Amino acid sequence: MLTWTTVALLAVGVYGQRALGAIAVDPTKLHARLQRVLTALPLAIISAVIALQAVTSDRAITIDARAAGLAAAALCAWRRLPLLVTVLAAAGTTATLRAIT
Amino acid sequence: MADLSTTTQKLQFSNGDAATLAVTYFTAGLAVSVLHVTQGTDPLVVIAAAFIVNSATSTLAFAAVATTGGSTAAAVLSGWMVATRFGLFAAALGPRLWPQRWKRALAAHMAFDPSVALALREANDDEARQAFVRAGLWLCVPWWTSAIVGALIAERLGDTDALGFDVILPALLLAIVWPQLRERSGRIVAATAVVAALALVGITPGGVPELVGGAAALLVLTDRVTQADRVARC
Repeated sequence: MLTWTTVALLAVGVYGQRALGAIAVDPTKLHARLQRVLTALPLAIISAVIALQAVTSDRAITIDARAAGLAAAALCAWRRLPLLVTVLAAAGTTATLRAIT
Repeated sequence: MADLSTTTQKLQFSNGDAATLAVTYFTAGLAVSVLHVTQGTDPLVVIAAAFIVNSATSTLAFAAVATTGGSTAAAVLSGWMVATRFGLFAAALGPRLWPQRWKRALAAHMAFDPSVALALREANDDEARQAFVRAGLWLCVPWWTSAIVGALIAERLGDTDALGFDVILPALLLAIVWPQLRERSGRIVAATAVVAALALVGITPGGVPELVGGAAALLVLTDRVTQADRVARC
Protein backbone atom coordinates (compact mmCIF):
# COMPACT_ATOMS: atom_id res chain seq x y z
CA MET A 1 0.00 0.00 0.00
CA LEU A 2 1.40 3.36 -1.03
CA THR A 3 1.31 6.30 1.39
CA TRP A 4 2.17 9.99 0.90
CA THR A 5 5.55 9.35 2.55
CA THR A 6 6.48 6.36 0.40
CA VAL A 7 5.30 8.12 -2.77
CA ALA A 8 7.51 11.09 -1.85
CA LEU A 9 10.49 8.78 -1.23
CA LEU A 10 9.94 6.97 -4.53
CA ALA A 11 9.58 10.28 -6.38
CA VAL A 12 12.84 11.65 -4.97
CA GLY A 13 14.74 8.46 -5.80
CA VAL A 14 13.32 8.04 -9.29
CA TYR A 15 13.51 11.69 -10.38
CA GLY A 16 16.92 11.99 -8.72
CA GLN A 17 18.27 9.24 -10.95
CA ARG A 18 16.68 10.75 -14.04
CA ALA A 19 18.04 14.24 -13.35
CA LEU A 20 21.48 12.94 -12.36
CA GLY A 21 21.63 10.99 -15.62
CA ALA A 22 20.54 13.99 -17.65
CA ILE A 23 22.96 16.55 -16.23
CA ALA A 24 25.86 14.79 -14.54
CA VAL A 25 26.60 11.52 -16.31
CA ASP A 26 28.65 11.32 -19.48
CA PRO A 27 27.69 7.89 -20.84
CA THR A 28 30.96 7.60 -22.78
CA LYS A 29 32.88 7.91 -19.51
CA LEU A 30 30.70 5.52 -17.50
CA HIS A 31 32.46 2.20 -17.04
CA ALA A 32 31.01 -0.34 -19.50
CA ARG A 33 30.68 -2.98 -16.76
CA LEU A 34 28.78 -0.62 -14.46
CA GLN A 35 26.51 0.34 -17.34
CA ARG A 36 25.75 -3.34 -18.03
CA VAL A 37 24.89 -4.01 -14.39
CA LEU A 38 22.64 -0.94 -14.16
CA THR A 39 20.83 -2.07 -17.32
CA ALA A 40 20.39 -5.63 -16.04
CA LEU A 41 19.29 -4.59 -12.51
CA PRO A 42 15.67 -3.67 -13.37
CA LEU A 43 15.33 -6.87 -15.42
CA ALA A 44 16.55 -9.01 -12.50
CA ILE A 45 14.27 -7.40 -9.90
CA ILE A 46 11.26 -7.34 -12.20
CA SER A 47 11.78 -11.03 -13.07
CA ALA A 48 11.85 -11.92 -9.37
CA VAL A 49 8.72 -9.82 -8.77
CA ILE A 50 6.88 -11.53 -11.67
CA ALA A 51 7.67 -15.00 -10.32
CA LEU A 52 6.75 -14.12 -6.73
CA GLN A 53 3.48 -12.49 -7.79
CA ALA A 54 2.47 -15.31 -10.13
CA VAL A 55 3.32 -18.47 -8.20
CA THR A 56 3.46 -17.64 -4.50
CA SER A 57 0.86 -16.70 -1.92
CA ASP A 58 1.16 -16.35 1.85
CA ARG A 59 4.91 -16.98 1.61
CA ALA A 60 4.62 -20.40 -0.06
CA ILE A 61 4.82 -21.56 -3.66
CA THR A 62 1.29 -21.97 -5.01
CA ILE A 63 0.58 -22.86 -8.62
CA ASP A 64 -2.96 -21.75 -9.50
CA ALA A 65 -4.94 -19.90 -12.16
CA ARG A 66 -2.43 -17.02 -12.05
CA ALA A 67 0.28 -19.21 -13.59
CA ALA A 68 -2.01 -19.97 -16.54
CA GLY A 69 -2.76 -16.26 -16.93
CA LEU A 70 0.96 -15.47 -16.96
CA ALA A 71 1.54 -18.18 -19.58
CA ALA A 72 -1.12 -16.51 -21.74
CA ALA A 73 0.69 -13.18 -21.28
CA ALA A 74 4.01 -14.76 -22.30
CA LEU A 75 2.40 -16.12 -25.46
CA CYS A 76 1.03 -12.67 -26.33
CA ALA A 77 4.37 -10.93 -25.63
CA TRP A 78 6.19 -13.52 -27.75
CA ARG A 79 3.76 -12.87 -30.63
CA ARG A 80 4.38 -9.09 -30.13
CA LEU A 81 0.69 -8.41 -29.48
CA PRO A 82 -0.28 -5.02 -28.00
CA LEU A 83 -0.05 -4.51 -24.24
CA LEU A 84 -3.83 -4.18 -23.95
CA VAL A 85 -4.33 -7.61 -25.55
CA THR A 86 -1.60 -9.12 -23.35
CA VAL A 87 -3.11 -7.85 -20.11
CA LEU A 88 -6.68 -8.80 -21.09
CA ALA A 89 -5.59 -12.30 -22.16
CA ALA A 90 -3.85 -12.85 -18.83
CA ALA A 91 -6.75 -11.59 -16.70
CA GLY A 92 -9.30 -13.38 -18.93
CA THR A 93 -7.48 -16.73 -18.66
CA THR A 94 -7.17 -16.48 -14.88
CA ALA A 95 -10.79 -15.35 -14.45
CA THR A 96 -12.14 -18.10 -16.73
CA LEU A 97 -10.19 -20.83 -14.91
CA ARG A 98 -11.47 -19.55 -11.57
CA ALA A 99 -15.05 -19.44 -12.86
CA ILE A 100 -15.05 -23.06 -14.08
CA THR A 101 -13.16 -24.68 -11.19
CA MET B 1 22.31 -0.72 -23.76
CA ALA B 2 21.32 -3.18 -26.40
CA ASP B 3 17.65 -2.24 -26.30
CA LEU B 4 18.25 1.31 -27.49
CA SER B 5 18.35 1.35 -31.25
CA THR B 6 20.79 3.85 -32.73
CA THR B 7 20.48 3.27 -36.46
CA THR B 8 21.25 6.32 -38.58
CA GLN B 9 18.40 5.98 -41.07
CA LYS B 10 15.83 8.75 -41.01
CA LEU B 11 12.81 7.64 -39.03
CA GLN B 12 10.42 10.43 -38.14
CA PHE B 13 8.13 9.95 -35.17
CA SER B 14 4.89 8.86 -36.83
CA ASN B 15 1.20 9.07 -35.99
CA GLY B 16 1.29 5.29 -35.67
CA ASP B 17 3.98 5.58 -32.99
CA ALA B 18 1.86 8.16 -31.19
CA ALA B 19 -1.26 5.97 -31.26
CA THR B 20 0.63 2.91 -30.05
CA LEU B 21 2.16 4.82 -27.15
CA ALA B 22 -1.16 6.40 -26.20
CA VAL B 23 -3.13 3.14 -26.19
CA THR B 24 -0.38 1.18 -24.42
CA TYR B 25 0.17 3.69 -21.64
CA PHE B 26 -3.53 4.41 -21.21
CA THR B 27 -4.08 0.69 -20.62
CA ALA B 28 -1.11 0.39 -18.32
CA GLY B 29 -2.17 3.41 -16.26
CA LEU B 30 -5.68 2.05 -15.85
CA ALA B 31 -4.43 -1.38 -14.74
CA VAL B 32 -1.82 0.06 -12.36
CA SER B 33 -4.24 2.49 -10.70
CA VAL B 34 -6.94 -0.13 -10.23
CA LEU B 35 -4.37 -2.50 -8.76
CA HIS B 36 -3.03 0.04 -6.25
CA VAL B 37 -6.50 1.12 -5.12
CA THR B 38 -7.74 -2.47 -4.70
CA GLN B 39 -4.65 -3.10 -2.53
CA GLY B 40 -5.82 -0.34 -0.22
CA THR B 41 -3.97 2.77 -1.40
CA ASP B 42 -5.89 6.05 -1.20
CA PRO B 43 -7.01 7.01 -4.77
CA LEU B 44 -5.50 10.50 -4.32
CA VAL B 45 -2.12 9.00 -3.44
CA VAL B 46 -2.33 6.75 -6.51
CA ILE B 47 -3.00 9.76 -8.75
CA ALA B 48 -0.16 11.75 -7.15
CA ALA B 49 2.20 8.79 -7.62
CA ALA B 50 1.44 8.67 -11.36
CA PHE B 51 2.41 12.34 -11.72
CA ILE B 52 5.40 12.69 -9.41
CA VAL B 53 6.97 9.22 -9.41
CA ASN B 54 6.05 8.87 -13.10
CA SER B 55 7.24 5.28 -13.21
CA ALA B 56 4.76 2.40 -13.11
CA THR B 57 7.49 -0.18 -12.58
CA SER B 58 8.71 1.67 -9.46
CA THR B 59 5.31 1.86 -7.76
CA LEU B 60 4.51 -1.71 -8.85
CA ALA B 61 7.81 -3.04 -7.49
CA PHE B 62 7.13 -1.19 -4.24
CA ALA B 63 3.62 -2.67 -4.01
CA ALA B 64 4.85 -6.16 -4.89
CA VAL B 65 7.41 -6.17 -2.07
CA ALA B 66 4.98 -4.57 0.39
CA THR B 67 2.22 -7.12 -0.34
CA THR B 68 4.59 -10.09 0.09
CA GLY B 69 5.34 -8.91 3.63
CA GLY B 70 8.47 -6.89 2.94
CA SER B 71 9.52 -3.91 5.05
CA THR B 72 8.92 -0.37 3.80
CA ALA B 73 12.69 0.08 3.38
CA ALA B 74 12.99 -3.03 1.18
CA ALA B 75 9.95 -1.95 -0.83
CA VAL B 76 11.27 1.59 -1.44
CA LEU B 77 14.71 0.20 -2.33
CA SER B 78 13.14 -2.10 -4.93
CA GLY B 79 11.19 0.83 -6.34
CA TRP B 80 14.40 2.82 -6.72
CA MET B 81 16.42 -0.01 -8.19
CA VAL B 82 14.02 -0.70 -11.05
CA ALA B 83 14.41 2.96 -12.06
CA THR B 84 18.18 2.86 -12.66
CA ARG B 85 17.42 2.45 -16.35
CA PHE B 86 15.81 5.91 -16.51
CA GLY B 87 19.05 7.54 -15.34
CA LEU B 88 20.98 5.72 -18.05
CA PHE B 89 18.39 6.67 -20.68
CA ALA B 90 18.58 10.33 -19.64
CA ALA B 91 22.38 10.19 -19.80
CA ALA B 92 22.35 8.64 -23.27
CA LEU B 93 19.95 11.21 -24.69
CA GLY B 94 20.74 14.36 -22.64
CA PRO B 95 23.60 15.76 -24.72
CA ARG B 96 21.44 15.58 -27.88
CA LEU B 97 18.53 17.52 -26.39
CA TRP B 98 19.62 20.94 -25.12
CA PRO B 99 22.93 22.50 -24.13
CA GLN B 100 21.28 23.95 -20.99
CA ARG B 101 21.40 21.48 -18.16
CA TRP B 102 18.25 22.78 -16.45
CA LYS B 103 16.21 22.02 -19.57
CA ARG B 104 17.65 18.53 -19.68
CA ALA B 105 16.87 18.04 -16.00
CA LEU B 106 13.24 19.10 -16.52
CA ALA B 107 12.80 16.91 -19.59
CA ALA B 108 14.36 13.93 -17.78
CA HIS B 109 11.07 13.46 -15.93
CA MET B 110 9.70 12.19 -19.26
CA ALA B 111 12.56 9.72 -19.84
CA PHE B 112 10.75 6.43 -20.44
CA ASP B 113 11.90 3.34 -22.31
CA PRO B 114 10.02 4.07 -25.58
CA SER B 115 10.39 7.88 -25.61
CA VAL B 116 14.18 7.62 -25.37
CA ALA B 117 14.39 4.76 -27.88
CA LEU B 118 12.28 6.70 -30.42
CA ALA B 119 14.38 9.85 -29.97
CA LEU B 120 17.71 8.03 -30.32
CA ARG B 121 16.59 6.63 -33.70
CA GLU B 122 16.60 10.13 -35.22
CA ALA B 123 19.69 11.14 -37.19
CA ASN B 124 19.98 14.79 -36.19
CA ASP B 125 19.57 16.48 -32.84
CA ASP B 126 16.60 18.69 -33.77
CA GLU B 127 14.59 15.66 -34.82
CA ALA B 128 15.71 13.73 -31.75
CA ARG B 129 14.48 16.56 -29.53
CA GLN B 130 11.13 16.75 -31.34
CA ALA B 131 10.67 12.99 -31.21
CA PHE B 132 11.49 12.93 -27.49
CA VAL B 133 9.05 15.70 -26.61
CA ARG B 134 6.25 14.33 -28.80
CA ALA B 135 6.74 10.73 -27.63
CA GLY B 136 6.98 11.91 -24.02
CA LEU B 137 3.70 13.80 -24.25
CA TRP B 138 1.89 11.05 -26.19
CA LEU B 139 2.96 8.72 -23.42
CA CYS B 140 2.58 10.82 -20.28
CA VAL B 141 -0.75 12.52 -20.98
CA PRO B 142 -2.68 9.24 -21.62
CA TRP B 143 -0.87 7.60 -18.69
CA TRP B 144 -1.75 10.42 -16.26
CA THR B 145 -5.34 10.56 -17.54
CA SER B 146 -5.88 6.84 -17.16
CA ALA B 147 -4.25 6.90 -13.72
CA ILE B 148 -6.97 9.34 -12.63
CA VAL B 149 -9.77 7.36 -14.29
CA GLY B 150 -8.48 4.05 -12.87
CA ALA B 151 -8.19 5.43 -9.35
CA LEU B 152 -11.76 6.76 -9.47
CA ILE B 153 -13.46 3.63 -10.89
CA ALA B 154 -11.44 0.99 -8.99
CA GLU B 155 -13.73 0.79 -5.98
CA ARG B 156 -16.78 0.06 -8.13
CA LEU B 157 -15.27 -3.03 -9.72
CA GLY B 158 -16.29 -5.48 -6.97
CA ASP B 159 -14.45 -8.80 -6.60
CA THR B 160 -11.28 -8.04 -8.57
CA ASP B 161 -9.77 -11.51 -8.00
CA ALA B 162 -12.74 -13.09 -9.81
CA LEU B 163 -11.89 -10.81 -12.75
CA GLY B 164 -8.28 -12.05 -12.71
CA PHE B 165 -6.88 -8.68 -11.65
CA ASP B 166 -4.17 -10.22 -9.49
CA VAL B 167 -2.41 -11.48 -12.63
CA ILE B 168 -2.36 -8.03 -14.28
CA LEU B 169 0.78 -6.91 -12.45
CA PRO B 170 2.97 -9.90 -13.42
CA ALA B 171 1.51 -9.88 -16.96
CA LEU B 172 2.22 -6.17 -17.39
CA LEU B 173 5.77 -6.48 -16.05
CA LEU B 174 6.43 -9.50 -18.27
CA ALA B 175 5.38 -7.51 -21.33
CA ILE B 176 7.68 -4.65 -20.24
CA VAL B 177 10.81 -6.83 -19.87
CA TRP B 178 10.08 -9.08 -22.85
CA PRO B 179 12.41 -7.21 -25.28
CA GLN B 180 15.34 -7.88 -22.91
CA LEU B 181 14.44 -11.58 -22.82
CA ARG B 182 15.14 -11.78 -26.54
CA GLU B 183 18.85 -11.52 -25.65
CA ARG B 184 20.49 -14.62 -24.21
CA SER B 185 22.19 -12.70 -21.41
CA GLY B 186 18.77 -11.27 -20.49
CA ARG B 187 17.28 -14.75 -20.26
CA ILE B 188 20.16 -15.96 -18.07
CA VAL B 189 19.80 -12.98 -15.69
CA ALA B 190 16.00 -13.35 -15.54
CA ALA B 191 16.04 -17.12 -14.99
CA THR B 192 18.64 -16.82 -12.23
CA ALA B 193 16.64 -14.07 -10.53
CA VAL B 194 13.47 -16.19 -10.65
CA VAL B 195 15.16 -19.32 -9.25
CA ALA B 196 16.94 -17.36 -6.49
CA ALA B 197 13.76 -15.51 -5.47
CA LEU B 198 11.55 -18.61 -5.41
CA ALA B 199 14.18 -20.61 -3.50
CA LEU B 200 14.01 -18.06 -0.66
CA VAL B 201 10.20 -17.94 -0.39
CA GLY B 202 9.09 -18.77 3.13
CA ILE B 203 12.70 -18.85 4.39
CA THR B 204 13.64 -15.15 4.45
CA PRO B 205 11.47 -12.19 5.45
CA GLY B 206 9.31 -10.73 2.68
CA GLY B 207 11.14 -8.35 0.34
CA VAL B 208 14.44 -10.23 0.60
CA PRO B 209 13.68 -12.65 -2.29
CA GLU B 210 13.10 -9.67 -4.63
CA LEU B 211 16.36 -7.98 -3.63
CA VAL B 212 18.41 -11.20 -3.81
CA GLY B 213 16.86 -11.84 -7.21
CA GLY B 214 18.07 -8.38 -8.19
CA ALA B 215 21.64 -9.46 -7.43
CA ALA B 216 21.40 -11.72 -10.50
CA ALA B 217 22.18 -8.53 -12.46
CA LEU B 218 25.81 -9.00 -11.36
CA LEU B 219 25.96 -12.01 -13.71
CA VAL B 220 26.56 -9.62 -16.62
CA LEU B 221 29.99 -9.01 -15.11
CA THR B 222 31.01 -12.56 -15.97
CA ASP B 223 32.41 -13.00 -19.46
CA ARG B 224 30.51 -16.23 -20.02
CA VAL B 225 27.14 -14.49 -19.85
CA THR B 226 28.04 -11.61 -22.14
CA GLN B 227 29.78 -14.01 -24.53
CA ALA B 228 26.48 -15.88 -24.77
CA ASP B 229 25.08 -12.89 -26.69
CA ARG B 230 28.01 -12.79 -29.07
CA VAL B 231 27.73 -16.52 -29.76
CA ALA B 232 23.97 -16.26 -30.23
CA ARG B 233 24.42 -13.45 -32.77
CA CYS B 234 26.86 -15.39 -34.95
